[in-house]
Amino acid sequence: MAEPGDRRSFMKKATGLLGLAAAPELALAAREAQTAPPPGLHDVALSVNGTKRTLRIDPRVTLLDALRERLDLTGAKKGCDHGACGACTVLVNGRRVNACLTLAVTCRGKEVLTIEGLAQGDTLHPVQQAFLEDDAFQCGFCTPGQILSAVACIREDRAGSDLEIREAMSGNLCRCGAYPNIVAAVKRARDAQAGRAQAGRK
Amino acid sequence: MSLPELSLHGLERPDSLGSVCERLAERAARGEKTVLLAGGTDWFVERHVAPATDGSEAELVLDVSRLPELRGISASGDTLWIGAATTYLELRRHPVVAARVPLLPAMSKDVGAVQIQARGTLGGNLATASPAADGVGALAALDATVHLLSVRGPRSIAISDYFTGYKRSVRAADEVITGFTVQMPGEGSFQYWRKVGTRLAQAISKVALAGVAEVSDGQVTRLGLGMVSVAPTTAFLPTVRALALRRPLDRIADSALDAATQADVSPIDDVRSTGDYRRHVSGALVREFFRTLRSR
Repeated sequence: MAEPGDRRSFMKKATGLLGLAAAPELALAAREAQTAPPPGLHDVALSVNGTKRTLRIDPRVTLLDALRERLDLTGAKKGCDHGACGACTVLVNGRRVNACLTLAVTCRGKEVLTIEGLAQGDTLHPVQQAFLEDDAFQCGFCTPGQILSAVACIREDRAGSDLEIREAMSGNLCRCGAYPNIVAAVKRARDAQAGRAQAGRK
Repeated sequence: MSLPELSLHGLERPDSLGSVCERLAERAARGEKTVLLAGGTDWFVERHVAPATDGSEAELVLDVSRLPELRGISASGDTLWIGAATTYLELRRHPVVAARVPLLPAMSKDVGAVQIQARGTLGGNLATASPAADGVGALAALDATVHLLSVRGPRSIAISDYFTGYKRSVRAADEVITGFTVQMPGEGSFQYWRKVGTRLAQAISKVALAGVAEVSDGQVTRLGLGMVSVAPTTAFLPTVRALALRRPLDRIADSALDAATQADVSPIDDVRSTGDYRRHVSGALVREFFRTLRSR
């Protein structure tokens, strides 16, 4: 993947100046070079939004910080950093987790899906489309987490009644109070996906 | 919390329970501290709330969340085995648990949001030995047996013998909690879960009560109670149990229940509630448990 120029610049950096602030390209090149990580650091290969990534990281790094600061995927937000607000919600092997409560090293070999991996090119995911149509956000800070949570909620078949949706989405707080529209968007996306699945069967 | 503010720790991911025990034994012999990490939902928050400021000992974290020996739920006859690293979401979705021990899914639903349920584990809930642990309240009501393992061998103890004080237990530094066994309540048993917190879920309990009862010919033949956040450890309410077990249900007076409950709890004022409110709610929950039981 790396162009020869990148490789050269990596070698220069790695042999000379750059310390532990491992940029993704450094980690990738390190894997290619098959060198063992220095003591205290770990090489973690995982899939992020369908792309294989390798990170050379300190074991204290959370999945949230790895996504935001190493992979430049800033969609997952750092809200409370305590597992209470849900703004950092991503899917790991299809399940919703708070990325702030997950060590990146424990994601070795796993599949991580973030908001950046949801749309197909310019075509929004049905849940993203529904959030737009139902105006299910105001400031937008909690929205990436809400949308990932909604994707899993529908996939888990837990998007039946309003009450069920509210319970299944209760780990995602919205300070703007867009809850009624969020519930409406979840239902719209659920129905859109069900309609499509039915059309597919015909 | 930025990285430099968090104390250093190493991290290993042993691939078998045997290697976890060996690693724990070596380190315990040298007096080194080891954290067994399952879901991490408590450990992360603790580190943020009370980070080591003195640059004290570098800990080792052993990630035990994937070990197959600690995962899974199985039933054999009336005995249910729950691996220590079983998550709340797994408890909610297991057909035998749903049918025979609905208390566990009911508790799991309230313990935190789905994101927390996906990571938090029953074993981790016991390991921290907090009196606010909802899962431990349920295990107490089920009179679960706790299974521990070390290089010295396995041992099993009643959950009522597990705690030695606030966040303290009989688990030795070289031992790992492998799982729990529960005698599943019989058909027609009564199981109760009520959590009182700032929010319905997604908040740590001010008080919660888990209860299991079986009644035969109007007599209480099995009774288990576990109350959360009302004492230095999970409260087993022994006075209430002694009052009601093998007694005709219609002769258990509310006034006697109140007196027994108050003898069994010693709640404190803290950030989440007051001792007075907790005393009030403790009595109300125990009365509600028996009122519902009588009216079945």
